[in-house]
This record gives sequence, C-alpha cells and structure tokens, in this order.
Amino acid sequence: MQTFLDAATILLPLAYLLVAVDYGFLFFAAHPVAVRTATPALRGTVAFHLAYLVGLSVRFGQFPAATVSQALSVVAFAVAVVYAFVEWQGRERSTGFWMVSLVFFFQLLGSVLTRPNPPFREIFHDPFFATHVSLALLGYAAFVVAAVYAFLFLQLYRELKAGRFSTFYGKLPPLEVLERMMIGALSVGFVTLTGAVVTGAFWAESLYHDAWLRDPKILVTLATWVLYAAALLLRRLRRWQGRQTALASLAGLCAILFSLVAVNLFFTDFHGFL
Amino acid sequence: MSSPQEPSLLVIGTDFRCSPIELRERVAFNKESTEDLLVHLLAGSGVAEAYLLSTCNRTEVYVQPRDEDEAYRSALEMVFLKRVPEMERPGRLYVKRNGEAVRHLMGVASGLESMVLGEPEILGQVKAASSLAEAVGAEGPVLRRLLRSAVSAGKRARQETGITAGAVSIGYAVVELARNIFSGMEECRVLLIGAGEIARSVARPLVERGARELKVANRGMERALGFQQEFPNAELLSFEERLAAVSTADLVIVSTGADEPVLTRRNLQEAMAGRKTQPLLVVDLGVPRNVEPSAGRIGNLFLHTIDSLDHLIQRNLKLRKEEVPRVEEIIDQEMAHFRTWFRGLDAEPLIARLQKQAERVRQQELAQALPHFPAETHEELERLTRSLVRKILHHPSTRLRGRDGTQDLSRLDLVRELFRLDDDDNA
Repeated sequence: MQTFLDAATILLPLAYLLVAVDYGFLFFAAHPVAVRTATPALRGTVAFHLAYLVGLSVRFGQFPAATVSQALSVVAFAVAVVYAFVEWQGRERSTGFWMVSLVFFFQLLGSVLTRPNPPFREIFHDPFFATHVSLALLGYAAFVVAAVYAFLFLQLYRELKAGRFSTFYGKLPPLEVLERMMIGALSVGFVTLTGAVVTGAFWAESLYHDAWLRDPKILVTLATWVLYAAALLLRRLRRWQGRQTALASLAGLCAILFSLVAVNLFFTDFHGFL
Repeated sequence: MSSPQEPSLLVIGTDFRCSPIELRERVAFNKESTEDLLVHLLAGSGVAEAYLLSTCNRTEVYVQPRDEDEAYRSALEMVFLKRVPEMERPGRLYVKRNGEAVRHLMGVASGLESMVLGEPEILGQVKAASSLAEAVGAEGPVLRRLLRSAVSAGKRARQETGITAGAVSIGYAVVELARNIFSGMEECRVLLIGAGEIARSVARPLVERGARELKVANRGMERALGFQQEFPNAELLSFEERLAAVSTADLVIVSTGADEPVLTRRNLQEAMAGRKTQPLLVVDLGVPRNVEPSAGRIGNLFLHTIDSLDHLIQRNLKLRKEEVPRVEEIIDQEMAHFRTWFRGLDAEPLIARLQKQAERVRQQELAQALPHFPAETHEELERLTRSLVRKILHHPSTRLRGRDGTQDLSRLDLVRELFRLDDDDNA
C-alpha cells in the first residue's frame, strides 16, 4: 500500500500534466488525437486519484485532510470531478485545459508538500469536525472552479473589448455563460464556506473558547469569506458587473492559496491540518 | 488489352476568376434550360453522360464522352459559344480532363473553388444539379458515382475541418460577435439605427438566427417603411426614440450617413446605467463613425466598427486557408475511393466471366462424378463443390476489384489470358 501511495504521489501530478497538455492540444489546435483522448485520459486520471485518496484513508485510518498536502489533493480531486461532470453534462470541453492545469498545480503543490508520516488526528473522528472539513474543502474546490471561469471571462472580455480576436475568441462559451457559471460556482463556494465557518466556530468555541479567534488561519479565512460575500452582494445589488466579480474571484483564489499553504505552514499551529 | 486507370471525363467551365458578372450571367442556366441542355447534349453521338452546374459564380458542364472530340465540341458550343461567342477568347474558359476534372469537382463541392473560401451553399447546389441530371437521365454510373464521391468530400470537409468555420461577411460577423457575448440569439434584442442597405444586410442573418426583437430608428420614414416591408416584425421608432431604445437593447447596429455621432459617449453611459450588469454590443458601420469612439471605454459595452469586423473576417479567412491542406487530404482519399470503384467497374465483367467459367467446369465435373456416388450424397457433393468454387474465387475476385488497395491493372490482362476469358465461347 505504501509503495502505491509513494508512486501515486509522483505519478498523479505527472498524469494531470499530461492530461492538461492533451486538453491544450484540443483547445489551441483541435488536434484529432487530443479530440479522441482528452476525456478518457481525464477520467482515467480521476479514477487513479480516487484510488490514491481511498488508499490514503485506508493506510492512515482517517479522512485524507490531515495535512496541507492531503487537503490540496482533495481540492484538486474535487475540481477534477466537478469539471468531468460539467463536461459530461454539457459536452463542453473548451474550459478543460484551464481547469485541468489548475488541478495539476494543486496536485503538484500537494505532492511537493507531502510528509512521510502524517499525524494521526483524533479530532477527525468527530462527525461535527468531519462536516467542517468537508464543507471547507468543497467550498475551496468551488472557488477554484469559479476562478477558472473568472480567468476565462476576463480573457474573452479583453479580446472582445479590444477587437483582437486571437487565443480565446471563438473557442469559449459566450461571456454571459462564463459569467453565469462563475457566479454559480461562487455561490456554491460561499454557501459551503459559510457552513464551514459556522461549524468550525461552534466546534472551536467549545474546545478553545475564544482563543481561536486570534489564529491567523481563522482571520485569513474570515477575510476571504468577507471578500466573497462582498463580491456576491455587490453583484446581487447590480453594482458590480461581471468583470469586477471575476477580479474578486481571482483575488479570492489567491487568498485561499495563501490560507491553505502559507498560513498553514508558517503562521498557525492551531489549524495545522487544513 | 489494357484498361484506363481513370474514367474518361471532361469539364468545361467558367467562373468568377475567368469571367466578369456580365458574361457569367449570360451563361447562367435555370432549371428548365438545364434540363433542355442536358437532353440535347445526350442526343448527340459524343456524350454518354452529362452534368451541368450553374451558380452565380460558375457555370460548368461535365461530360463522360463516347467520342472525346465530339463531346468537347458539342458541350463547348451548346453551353457557352451559342450564348456568348466571346467565351472563345483565351482565359475565359477552363478545360480539365479525367483525374483533373474529378479533383476539380471535389474541390468545388468542398468550397475550395468558391469566391469566398469554404462558402457552404455550393454543396447544396452541387446536389440539386445532380438531382436534375438524374431526373432527365443524364447521369450514368460514372457521373452518379463521381457526384456521390464529390458530395461525400464536401460533407467531410465541413465536418472534419474548419473550412466553413467563422463568419466571412459583415452580417454574419455581427452574429458571430453577438454569439460570443450573449448566451443565445433567441434572447437578443436588436436595435438598428439607420435602415439602409447595410442595415438590411446585417438584419437578415440576425433574423435568420432568431433574434428576439427588432426595432429600427431612422430619420426618414420612407426608408423605414421599406425596411418594414422586408422585415414585417420590425418595430419602427422615430429617430429621437433611439436613445431610450438603447437601454433595452442587447445589440445596437448603427449605420447612418450622418457626419456627427448619433450616439455619444454620454448617451451610452446613461443607457448603461439603466442596464446594470447586462452587456451591450454596439456595432458602428458608419463612415464617418456614428458612435463616439470613446464610448468603447465604458465597462460592459463592446463597441465595434467596420474595421474590427473586417479584422475578424480576415482572421476567419486566414483560419479557413490553413484548413485547405486538410481538405485536400480528404479529396485525395475520395479520389482514391472513386478510382478503386472505377477499376472495380472494369473488373466486374471479367469476374463474372471467371465465375461463369468456374461454374461450368463445376457442373461438368459434377455431372461426370455423381453417377459413381450414392444418391443420398449428391446434395452434399453439390454443396461441397459450390463452396469450393466460391472459396477459391473469393480472394482473386477481391484482388481484381482492387478493394484491398492492391489492384494492378496488368492482373486483369493476366487473368484474361490465363483463363482465356476474352472469348466467351472458351469461357
């Protein structure tokens, strides 16, 4: 089992890299080989990733989010599954390259940060806590998906504005559709992140009283939550157009990455898992 | 005795590259005149099969000749010289024969020979002309099969390559832009400021693609009414109402002859304030420009001019040109299929004779052998010998037809000689 996990830690980012290259050939050149192979390659890699996560759960006897590395891998997996589902539903593969590239980046980061013996955390057996972690990871995955749509929206917006019809023009869904998908993903992410914050607050309050409120991880997460709340509210009030919402979505992704990686590694002990 | 690799075929034609519209319109054929021409061509002694393709950009006659010189003379005379004697001048007509003619027709069907590369209507025109030739009995086995291959090449070019992708006219370029912004044309509300010919040429594809609402604001009522005659669902507005209408439209097309902008940045800023988050596409087709250029800086407003549309069209044409080698590959494949079929056509009578001869030998030998076997085995022997003959001839027949891609025409001669198949008495 350990050999499989060690091999998968190296092979998974490589597999996602190959799938991203395949989708790249599909997006930029409509290459016939990529047309045939991109989707099966993604599905195969997602299945491999699932086996890896199941393997981690079995090997360490807990949900695979005990470390930053594992949490990043779960987020990457969730994004890949969401994209595979969207592609299957809508037969729309134009966003695949960008989505899988980000999945590759998250998994690469996860693999690089892997530790040989993740700590066993008693806390993970508390159902309330498991709900908190699951909601947080789901929220992060939704925000990653929203950020991809936001990036593509901004690129297409820029080309349409400038009358330069080059890389993105004609290859993506229309602006309105990209915007709708971005807002949809942001809404899902916001609801789940809110759930994660609320469950986390209840749980932390009972264990740590009010000490947890001073933790950098919590503060950054709350700032991220406020950013997304403001973006969605201003959008709802029709004060912000798609462009501003897309920029906020990208800023939110940066905050999430900072929260997941930098804060966890350097600033917090309390929230050392995720 | 040797067989040709390709059918004898001749095409004589003229197109937009050889002749101006003044000449092309005089050699254009409608349905009745096409039927009449084909009947007359076939009545002559030189033509076995004939097909005429007449569109606004080309007139071409394809003939499968019995007598090549005679077929050439009659086709040239009946289709071109009788109507336009000046067509005899050098460069007005092109003449292609055999393989070149086959390739030409496939190129035409694939849109490679069109004035606008990849133009999609030509495939339908090739099919319609084929139905006409079939109806008057002018299509024989060779042209029927050739047209099937040409239509297949045309369809594959459209499905497997990007030869028809992207808009290459102003009207469709506007549709293409709208499709990149809005989720569906059915939801698109269109406002036209100006009702001249340019406005109409843009309105046509928009209506064709199902634009939800069409409003037109024009200074003069007469032209606006003319517009409404062509587009009965269009709502007419006074020119002053245009500003209010902008805030409820998704796509605004401006094409007036005004010297001053008819939509200023301020007008559009006010309109956008009422629209909140909805994007607005404004296409300014006027020269001098009808929309203040600085309006392009307003957020969520996409302002395009005749230049940016031209840029889009040139980009699409370039992309189409890049697809030409892939279309040519498809044409090569279809030509190979057609040639194989044609060679098989030559082999069919030979294979039939070979089978006939084998069957005769089988029956002779069986007749001699059966008396020496018990009656109850006769049926089994009959089945056995039939099966033997069929299996022995299967592989040679396949090779002779060339369907395994290995056909060598000298084999037909060799088989004729080995089995003495030229003489029916011997067969």
